[in-house]
Amino acid sequence: MCALNAFVVADPNKCIGCKVCEVACAVVHSDVPVKTVGQMTTPIIPRLYLVKTAEVTMPVQCRHCEDAPCANACPVGAITQRDGIIYVDQEACVGCKTCMLACPFGAMEMVPYYRNGERVKQLRLTEETGEGPVLQDAFVASKCDRCIGVEGGPACVANCPKEALRVVRPDELRRTRNLEAALAVLESVKNVIG
Amino acid sequence: MIYIDQELCTGCRSCADVCPVDAIVGEFGQPQSVDQELCVMCGQCVQVCSSYASILDEGIAPREQKLAERAMLPSVKEPLFAAYNQGKALKVKEALADPDKYVMVQVAPAVRVAIAEEFGMPLGSLAPGQMAAALRRLGFDRIYSTDFTADLTIMEEGHELIERVTKGGTLPMFTSCCPAWVKYLEQTYPELLPHLSSCKSPQQMAGALFKTYGAKVDKVDPAKVYSVSVMPCTCKDFEANRPEMKASGHQDVDVVITTRELAHLIKDAGIDFASLTEEEYDRPLGLYTGAGTIFGATGGVMEAALRTAYEVITKKPIPELDLEYVRGGEGVRYATVQVGDLELKVCVVSGLKHVAPVLEQVKAGTADFHFMEVMTCPVGCVSGGGQPKALLPKDRICARTARTASTYKHDGELRHRKSHENPDIKKIYKEFLGKPLGEQSHHLLHTTYTPRRRDA
Repeated sequence: MCALNAFVVADPNKCIGCKVCEVACAVVHSDVPVKTVGQMTTPIIPRLYLVKTAEVTMPVQCRHCEDAPCANACPVGAITQRDGIIYVDQEACVGCKTCMLACPFGAMEMVPYYRNGERVKQLRLTEETGEGPVLQDAFVASKCDRCIGVEGGPACVANCPKEALRVVRPDELRRTRNLEAALAVLESVKNVIG
Repeated sequence: MIYIDQELCTGCRSCADVCPVDAIVGEFGQPQSVDQELCVMCGQCVQVCSSYASILDEGIAPREQKLAERAMLPSVKEPLFAAYNQGKALKVKEALADPDKYVMVQVAPAVRVAIAEEFGMPLGSLAPGQMAAALRRLGFDRIYSTDFTADLTIMEEGHELIERVTKGGTLPMFTSCCPAWVKYLEQTYPELLPHLSSCKSPQQMAGALFKTYGAKVDKVDPAKVYSVSVMPCTCKDFEANRPEMKASGHQDVDVVITTRELAHLIKDAGIDFASLTEEEYDRPLGLYTGAGTIFGATGGVMEAALRTAYEVITKKPIPELDLEYVRGGEGVRYATVQVGDLELKVCVVSGLKHVAPVLEQVKAGTADFHFMEVMTCPVGCVSGGGQPKALLPKDRICARTARTASTYKHDGELRHRKSHENPDIKKIYKEFLGKPLGEQSHHLLHTTYTPRRRDA
């Protein structure tokens, strides 16, 4: 088995910058099921990020690198590969941000940690305030998990109104490109020979 | 009023795709704004907008500031999006806390098939009784339903149609309960205003009755009555503030909030909606029939009107109550109904963007129907701009279907299904209004329209 890790990528020529992908990502990763905006008691925390400049509009997300620098850099082994997905075990994450430094795409973010819709606190770490020591909010590393276990595959791909996102399977990608190249050669040969 | 938060808008123009009047202004990729003169406040842009305020974006104003700008309750936890309507929940909270105010509330048909969604129940859950209970916990003095005045609208509008058909009035007649449609006609086809039924919308009929008949029934000073309306609609507040809507001698409807804002108020008060036991609406202005409740779905006004018109004209019971031929989805539908000797031709338009070709036919004199229902939102009020906003595009469609199904389920289960059989409708005509299209009705329940064509 030598399958390369699949990943999601956006087409900047199709993307309109609506952020439906971000919302859909947050919805499927919410730990309490949500259908309407009013049901949400937590912020929208996506795992892909819209880049919008004068030159380019598209969301960026994890490439599920073969030699994942985030996993290599993680001092507590919280990042592993599961079924072709580079996966963060948020319970194990200590929030050191080394993975953020290591990721060449900015696909990793430190986000507030929620469980059952409630903000999770650090176990012991407190901050001194006027009213005495207060437990600090927990933050954990968060990145695309290609919607592991989600029916219908990645939610960003399924919900994009412009079909600007797709799952790339690298082995198929090469074969498709090879075929396209071969057909192009055939075309040009035809033109030369007539 | 509908606004687009310049800090949050990415300029994707998904809102422009659903706007029926091309009121969204701006270059692609740049923050958009709303042409308030053109805007009919349907709020479909609010429903579709997906550009949210991110906690990861440090360059935007704090959440507290945004909540204040939108006049939302500070306790609201839900995410905020670029397109929004100015809220009124703070005013309602204030009125409920004022011991000098006698606060009456009306809730529109479509609210009862959607509000439960905001409390985690399945899309389209039918919850009229729980909503009545929640409104009582919130402290409203009278819990009334717009479905009652929907029944009353049928009595008035049905008789108006019969009169126009038999006595040679302006035809085809158009329904007038959707305020966005009325504003559209006033600004885009003012020459067709005589076609609009002179009936006020059910909301405004209720407003006029709260501070007259309602105050009399409860023996309270009309000046102390504060009239609150809960609507699936972001345009109803505009309608309530039209200068002519003071038939009771006071502002008929003091404040309008949306379904979403009612959910905010319920959460703000710490009421556990899902655990509430069902309660009844107050009488007399809260008793309604199935005909009144189907106003929330496209074709509902038409169906309710036909159920009554048939029986008034033929003096016989209508053979079939479920008039499937006027029900449906987005677009234009035509039907012909045999009512005694009269072959009544009707047209139902769902989604304001589909109406212009039909109006051109009316202008050209080639429109072949007597009566047209128009609803601005895609499948009627159940899909209104003030309804719970689905997070995913596919759930927006599922919600519409489920809310429509619940509306007809409710209709099927109610004791009375024809407006003219509502005992409290019979009573109000006997005790207070006299007869449909009578003097009192004319004064309280009918209105006029204002051409508002923009200068070229």
